[in-house]
Formats: sequence, C-alpha cells, structure tokens
Amino acid sequence: MIHLKTISRIIGTLLILLAGIFLLFSIASPFLEGNDLFGFLVSALATTLAGLWCLIIGKGSKGEFSRRDSYITITVCWIAFALFGSLPYWLGGHIPSFTDAFFESMSGFTTTGASILDNIESQPHALLLWRSLTQWLGGLGIVFFTVAILPMFGIDKVQLFAAESTGVSHRKVHSRVSVGSRWIFGIYILLTLVCTVSLKICGMGWFDAINHAFTATGTGGFSTRQASIEAFSSPLIEYVLTLFMFLSGINYTLLYLLLFRGKIRELYRNTEFRVYLFTVLGFTLAITIGLLAQGDVGIEKAFRLSIFQVVSLQTTTGFATTDYMLWPPYLWMLLSFAMIFGACGGSSTGAMKCGRVAILAKSIRGEFRRILHPNAVIPVRMDGNPISQDTRATVLTFTCLYFLLIFIGWFVLMIMGLDFLEAYGISVSSISNVGPALGTFGPAYSWSALPAAAKWLSTLLMLIGRLELFTILLMFTTSFWKRR
Amino acid sequence: MRIIIAGAGAVGTHLAKMLSDEQHDIVLMDADEERMANLDSNFDLMTIAASPTSISSLKDASVADADLFVAVTPEESTNITACMLAHSLGAKKTVARIDNYEYLQPKNKEFFNNLGIDSLIYPEMLAAKEIADGLHLSWIRQWWEFSGGALVMLGVKLRDNALILNIPIFQIKKEQPYHIVAIKRSGETIIPGGDDILQAGDLVYFMTAKRSLTYIRHITGKDEYESVRNVMIMGGSRIAVRSAQLISEDMSLKIIESDLARCHWLTEMVGDNVMVINGDGRDHELLSEEGIDNVDAFVALTDSAETNILACLSAKRMGVFKTIAEVENIDYISMAESLDIGAVINKKKIAASYIYQLLLDADVENVKCLTFANADVAEFVVKEGARITRSQVKDISLPKGVTIGGLVRDGEGILVTGSTQIQPGDHVVVFCLASMIKRIEKYFN
Repeated sequence: MIHLKTISRIIGTLLILLAGIFLLFSIASPFLEGNDLFGFLVSALATTLAGLWCLIIGKGSKGEFSRRDSYITITVCWIAFALFGSLPYWLGGHIPSFTDAFFESMSGFTTTGASILDNIESQPHALLLWRSLTQWLGGLGIVFFTVAILPMFGIDKVQLFAAESTGVSHRKVHSRVSVGSRWIFGIYILLTLVCTVSLKICGMGWFDAINHAFTATGTGGFSTRQASIEAFSSPLIEYVLTLFMFLSGINYTLLYLLLFRGKIRELYRNTEFRVYLFTVLGFTLAITIGLLAQGDVGIEKAFRLSIFQVVSLQTTTGFATTDYMLWPPYLWMLLSFAMIFGACGGSSTGAMKCGRVAILAKSIRGEFRRILHPNAVIPVRMDGNPISQDTRATVLTFTCLYFLLIFIGWFVLMIMGLDFLEAYGISVSSISNVGPALGTFGPAYSWSALPAAAKWLSTLLMLIGRLELFTILLMFTTSFWKRR
Repeated sequence: MRIIIAGAGAVGTHLAKMLSDEQHDIVLMDADEERMANLDSNFDLMTIAASPTSISSLKDASVADADLFVAVTPEESTNITACMLAHSLGAKKTVARIDNYEYLQPKNKEFFNNLGIDSLIYPEMLAAKEIADGLHLSWIRQWWEFSGGALVMLGVKLRDNALILNIPIFQIKKEQPYHIVAIKRSGETIIPGGDDILQAGDLVYFMTAKRSLTYIRHITGKDEYESVRNVMIMGGSRIAVRSAQLISEDMSLKIIESDLARCHWLTEMVGDNVMVINGDGRDHELLSEEGIDNVDAFVALTDSAETNILACLSAKRMGVFKTIAEVENIDYISMAESLDIGAVINKKKIAASYIYQLLLDADVENVKCLTFANADVAEFVVKEGARITRSQVKDISLPKGVTIGGLVRDGEGILVTGSTQIQPGDHVVVFCLASMIKRIEKYFN
C-alpha cells in the first residue's frame, strides 16, 4: 500500500522548511555582496505555494506509513529539493538554462560538487552561500537533517532513515532515533564550526571560510573560487582542509563514540576505519613516489599534493589544488580507484565505502582458502565478528550493480558523443558523488561543456549513487508498484 | 560439614559421591528426580527432588545450616540465582558454576561477593587450561604450578631412552635439582622410597623449579620432542573454544566439527588463527586432506568418551605424537591410560578437585586431584608452632603414602631433603595418596 496523503504531508513540511531557508537568504542577501534578492524571494514564494499544496493534499492523513512509502518519500524528497533548490539560480537569472540550474542544484545536494559555472567569482555571495549550504544539507541526508532539527512527522522514522543512510551496517547512537540523530548532527555542526575557525585562522576571509567549511564537512567540494583551493596558494589551508575532509569521511557514530564516550579502541577495532586509513595512506604513498619519480617537485610538495588529492577524491569531496590531468596517466587510474573506494559508511561521503571494499577483499581471500579446504567454514569478519551470508550477498550485489551502472553510464555517455576517457571519468565521478572527472572534465575545467542530455544522465547517476543504488533503482522495478 | 549440591549432572554427582565417602553431610538437589534415583539408595546422602531456585525447597534442605552451597547445574543463570538465594537464606559459603569468561576477571570478584557468591568455578576453562599447558609443553603429561610458578610438578612418561631407568632412586637422587614424588605403574600409584627403581612405561611425577625443566627433559629422554606448531581439535565443544583462546598465537589450530550450525557458532567465538572445518573427525580421508601428517597434536573433545579414545588412537597411528582425549566416563580413564593415549582430560575431576579445595581450611592454597594417579597434591601454609616445624623432616614421622615435594620460602622454590628444617610461613607442597589430606592437615597447623 502506498499512502499518498502521508507522503504529501511529509514532502509539504519539508518544502515549507526549504521556503523558510529561502526567506532567511532573502533577508541576508542585501547585506552580502551582489544582488540576488529577487531570485530568493520568488523561490521562497514558489516553494511555499508548492509546500502548501502538498499539505492540502496530505490533509486528513492518519500517519500510516509502509516500507514502500519510505522509499517513495526519500526519492521524491531528494528530487523536490534539487528542483526547488535550483530556483534561486534560475529565477534570479544567474544560471539562465534550467538544465544547468537543476544540474548545479542536484550536484550540490548529492554532495558531488561538479559545477557548470565558469564565472564563480562574479556570482552574488548569497547565491554562493546557498550553493555551499546545499552540500552541507545533503551531506548527512535531507531527511536526517530535518528529523534532527524538527520534532515532526509522527511516523516511524526508522524506515526513512534506513532508506537514506549509507554503509553496510547501522549502529545506533541512542535508543531513540531522533535523539541519536541530534547527537550526530551536533558532531556535524561542531566539525563545521571548528573547520570555519581553523580556516579563518589560516588566513581565509570569513565568507570563504564558512563556504569551504560547509563544503568540506559535507564532503561536497563546491568552492567560491574558479580555481578551487589552488586559488588560496596556502599550504596551511590545504593541510587543514585535508584533515577536515578526512574527519568527515569517518563514520559519525564512531566519531560520537570517540568524542563523547572516549572509546579510542573502538576506532582502531573498526575494520572499515582501518581500511579507510590504510587505503588513504597507501594511495598517498604511491602517488607521492609517482610524482617524485617524475621529478618536477620537492618531497614536501609532492606529499602535500598527493595527500590532498587522495583525501579529496576518496572522501568524494572534489576540491583541487592542482590539475592532476598533468600527472602521468597511471596516477589518474589510482585516483579513480580512490574515487570508487570512497570513505566510511554513515559519513557524509559517497561511493562504494571502505566497509564494502573490506568485505569484498576478505570474501576473495576466503574463496581461495575454500578451494584448499573445501570443508572449512570460513567467515568474513568485520570488527572481529563474522558477518552474515545475507550481508555478504548484499555487498556483492551492490558491487556488481555499482560497476554495472558505471559501465552503462560510460557507454551511454559515449553514445552522446563523449570520448572514452571523459565518459569513464564522468560516469565514475557522478555515481560516486566526487566532482572532478578526467580529461577535459578534470579539476581544471567545469562541466558546462557537457551536452544537455549528458547533464541529465549525470544528475540521475548522482542521485542513484547518493542514495546507494537500491533506493532509486527500486522505483524502476515492477514489483515495487504491484499491490502485493 | 554440611554441604548442599544443586544440580545432579556429571559434576554434581561426582562431587556428591566423593564427598559422601569423606563423611560429609551431603544434600543433593535437582528438579529431575530420575537423575538422582540411583544415588539415594547406593550412597550415604540425601536427595531432594526440587528446583534449587525455589525458596521453599531451599528452606526444606535447611540451607541456613549449610557450610557450603555448590550450584553446578548446566545453566549459569540458575546457578547464580540459586547461590544468591542460598546466601540470603544463610548458607556460609557459596560456589557457582559459570560459563562466561567475563565473570572470572579479578575486577568482578568483589561484585560477585556482594551478590553473595563467594567463588566461581568454570570447569571448561580449567580443562582448557590443562590442554593449553599440555600443548605448550608437549613432552609433559601433566603440569601444575605452585606459589605462582616457584615450584612445578610435572608428570612424564618414561620411554626406553630415558637416562634414569633401572637405577635405585637413592643413587640418582644425590644433588639433583628435582624430587620424584610419585610413580604410576600399571594402574598403581607408588610413593617411592630410595630403593625403588624406575622402569620404562612409568609415569613419573617430578617436583622441581622451572629453571631445571631442560635438565629433566634431558634425563627423561625427551630431547627430540619438537614444540607443537599445528594442532587439530575434534569436536567444537566449549572446552575447544576456550582452548583456542588460550593457546599461543603462533600455533595454527584447526577445529573439526560435524554440525554445520555449530561451525558457524564456532567462527563467532574464535579468532582468525583458527580454521573451522565442517566434517567428521573420524573420517581418515578428511584428516589427511586437512594435513594430519603435519599435525603435532591431536585433541579429541567430543561428547563421547569412546569416540575420543578411538580418534586419539587412530591419530597416533597416523603419526601424531601428542594426543589428548576428553574422557568424561571415569571408568574409562584407566583403560585410556593403558591404551597409551597421551593425556586425559576429565572435566568432572578438575571441577571436583577445585571445589574440594574449598572444603579444606583456608590454609590449603591449592589442591589438585591427579587424573591418572589416585592421589592429591596440596599446598599448605605452615603456621607458627606447627608439628612439622619442630624438627628436621627426616625426624618427623609422616604417615605412609605421604611425601613432601618441596617448599616455597620468600618466593623461591626449594626442594626438601631429610635435613631440611621447615619454618613457619613456608608454603609446603605435599603429595599424598587420595583422601589423606585431612589426616596430614594437623601437621601444619
């Protein structure tokens, strides 16, 4: 059963919340550089109307909610936010093409960070702040954000959370999901505040610091500069951002246990975190050596460049301090592996997640041992405990589907006229919510040159990737819509 | 002494029989009347067919007068509840059998004391410790430490290549860093005098300090024994899990278990250095596929004593030099020995000797019932003015069947000779034939 009224009521509430944010921006706009008051006011009005309309449809809802409803709600909610979130860009006339505006908005909410803007510095500041805020809101999930700040819905939120959360296993912080989400959200805000202040101390202006703190902790990667972090040419800022991107890539439940319960051993025992740490270090080491072998840079710079790009791409942020397309091609491949691996589940990052990579690697090792010992019972262990066969099957399915989607995206993008390399890069970058791709869509360029159809395909891949494949793809299965 | 035993399982029944033979006043409680039917008519004890967690039946058993309440049902929570109730109703001392390693940690001791549980006993853990010790020192049959390792007692089976065969003990005994406390020869335990001669096939119990281990290894002809690297355990019992946790990391361990669901349970309990194999441990093909040729030690821990004995025999035949079998059927133990199975583990005896210790006065630190030899080893703390301190050891007439193995003074292990003067405060390790501990207690008080 699909309960249209309940869904409408939830979407309506969320849209009113969005309208409220737009109103705040309208108030703030005159105090900030550039003129975009009109865009925000009209957007606020349009969103309010749409929200009220949804609430009217949802009137008389009895709060019934099924598993299917949660998947529909999450999907509709993300599309609606991307749609209404694009209004300030489009109605204000700053991004004239609707396709481009929607792309920018979806790229923001899914924390991808691929931009079609070629003139970022000349955009009004309130609009840039909105652009960064979309990534911050999308970081932990829109519904997550809403439940954390509003006591609302009166429905079973656990299912909604399950449809939006990332990673293999979900450990709860608190017995009540709304209280737990507030703790997690508190950590998110704390990280953002500390990041802002650190960036300010390192020499950024307040406006830049806030924007970059939003997009770093949300692991989005939008910057207020066309040249991204390279524009600041400050090694200190690069190291600080590397640290905060890395922290945002850790499972927030683990951060909670670490910060509020002092459980350091928990962090080290966590298989996913260890894989995350060691893959980041491994990629960094390999690329540092690669750069040194090329011989243009000193050891400190080689290390700084490589750790920044690796952390930025593996946490699927997408900041850049250099154009890695100028590096030897085999290093691009390493970087694209980092993009596919991703960081930890339950964080603001995208891609496959290290937990799945770990299960996959251990399954492969177990398979070889099984050949030698056909009667042995060989478990795959995470955090020291064997995981169930079901979990393993889900992870294997996820991985197959992930690569299948990359290949399909790659193929369709090539039909649309892209080159082999560019199509690969965009497909991987979109589904993993990274931002920069390869070739002429690398960190030195925007994605504005993409054909319109490719932009739509890319936004679809971003959404599928952000909601971890199954939520969106479920909508396309016939059994989902059958009354069974 | 009035003792109430709750739970007429293997451990409880064995304990009840043993203690009733020693003229204690025993009440055995179990909810299942049938399990106790035989005991009531054949042994001098009282049985009560009632749940040990029922307050009224505990009162019926007059728990208020009990000196010791022992809860050894298979259920850990039943045991803990029963002990708490018994303590509140007036039992002087309570012992609960548990199945959780966490409870044994020293930091939790006070917590359990506050609950009214004085001692915890974990038979599987004790058995696993024996197995692990046996694997770490593969040439030794049995191993027991006194006063935190200052003195050790070890049982070694002598083969033809031992250097101390066929010489009267008084000749080899001079200035040697060990003391032979007992000999087990064809089912009989001998407390040796100077004229006795060691023969091949004897199981000899040495008392010594740890530093002399290599010397004893040499004279018993065990130099070529390699240390154990690969271990195979048959049967995924709780003892197997505990053993897997206790043996050192550098040993590689395979557990063979025939029940698949049990295998999955095992993988949750053990670490990655243990491989769990689903199959029958009696299947030769499986054993050779899993490399029995390279296995140094084979441990059989299934529920069936017969299976364990046969599996160990066939493992010996396939070239495994060290085998350990769990034999829960006490009647089979001497048979297992005559079949030359390396070491025999009996959970009941281990648990019983542990509980037996609680019955003796607090001065006895440590009692071990030897599984093979029908004998006990006890560690006494000598009191001021005790009879044993009045003259040199050779001038004290100890009862027959008792020998003083050694003593620990100021943390240092010393072997006892005839001219040794025992002082108050010494920890004395005494070896005696079964059921004599009560009689020699008075020498030390």
